[in-house]
Amino acid sequence: MKLPTEATLRRIIAFVAALGIGVATYITIADSGGGAPTCLAGGGGCETVASSSYSHIAGVNVAVFGIIGYVALLASAFFVNDLARFGGFAVALGGFGFSVYLTYLEIFKIEAICQWCVASAVLMTILFVLNATRLIGYAGTDGPATRGQLRTEHT
Amino acid sequence: MSGKQDREKRKEERLREETQVNAKDRRTRLLQFGAGAVFLVLAVVLVLIVVSSSSSGGGDASNLKEVSQVDSLVSGVPQTNMVLGDSKAPVELIEFGDLQCPVCKAYSEEILPKVIEGQVDQGQAKIEFRNFTIIGVQSPPAGAAALAAGAQGRGWNYLELFYRNQGKENSGYADDEFLTAVAKGSGVKDIAKWNEERNSAKLTGEVKKTTAEAVKLGFTGTPSFAIKGPSTNGMELLGTPATAGEIEEAIEQAS
Repeated sequence: MKLPTEATLRRIIAFVAALGIGVATYITIADSGGGAPTCLAGGGGCETVASSSYSHIAGVNVAVFGIIGYVALLASAFFVNDLARFGGFAVALGGFGFSVYLTYLEIFKIEAICQWCVASAVLMTILFVLNATRLIGYAGTDGPATRGQLRTEHT
Repeated sequence: MSGKQDREKRKEERLREETQVNAKDRRTRLLQFGAGAVFLVLAVVLVLIVVSSSSSGGGDASNLKEVSQVDSLVSGVPQTNMVLGDSKAPVELIEFGDLQCPVCKAYSEEILPKVIEGQVDQGQAKIEFRNFTIIGVQSPPAGAAALAAGAQGRGWNYLELFYRNQGKENSGYADDEFLTAVAKGSGVKDIAKWNEERNSAKLTGEVKKTTAEAVKLGFTGTPSFAIKGPSTNGMELLGTPATAGEIEEAIEQAS
């Protein structure tokens, strides 16, 4: 199977990460205003999820962690070296694992679904697939990595 | 001269080969790291899910729902023991309830917030909760636990949080672990003191006393309401008003 070029992958990663920043920022702003994200199809799912004790870790809304992750992924798309490839993969993997856990909580513990959280989980899953493809397809393809990165120095 | 060129050419080739070998090594190492990271994340997620599923059914403060909603409902409203609202408010609404009662839960979620955010916030009325424990064996200890939270200024936080996390009547969920989780979730500062007080003869006796009082007043179900104010003849019984509007009207009339 022919892989898309790395440039194409990077462009898609940047686009999806930007969408993710939008979604996570909306959830954070809606929460900080004392309210909850509005569900597009009505229903109180978002309110229930946002008001549950799982929505914050050490007082910080989990969506804030989402923003940090998406920003890191967006940044990784602007660099062409192994650090960016592996960094992007590691962040997307962590984000994907966290999304799986949060979705489990929504379904089995909070018993409510928030579309915005599902949207973020879907975006993170796409980013995980893209970054995994980028790592598998292009790791080690550039010249010596930038100084101070994953390069093994031979003198 | 040509010997020097040869040497340089060989050096270049060697460097290129080394670079290629390095890139290949790096790729192998990165993919190994990547695979390791996948297993690590998989293991962490599995552990998190197993840990959180084994602590189900209440009794765990981290499982409590709507902690922030309860906070925002009662924060800023003065509380003295089980009385919510300004102590100088002219009208006193008295709720006789059972923490295990599902209708009381519905009241706490749908009807009382309107009254609290309206006439109670405005200082026109205060609401007192009194235990009328009729559902089951776990009702009196739950009631005493709320009173002990009230002694630390968190009585209404306790009631509201309990209702919002209420389990099925008499299913056994309201055990010590659950009561403690609700106490922690509702912001009771001194848990040791709360533990001591909820088991004290004073508070367990208080639960029995208010239950007997409700029976004496002729109430048969929970929640039942009574009202006292400048325009009432002592304590007047309201029974179980169907809407927040009826309660608000009763408060107006009692003022």
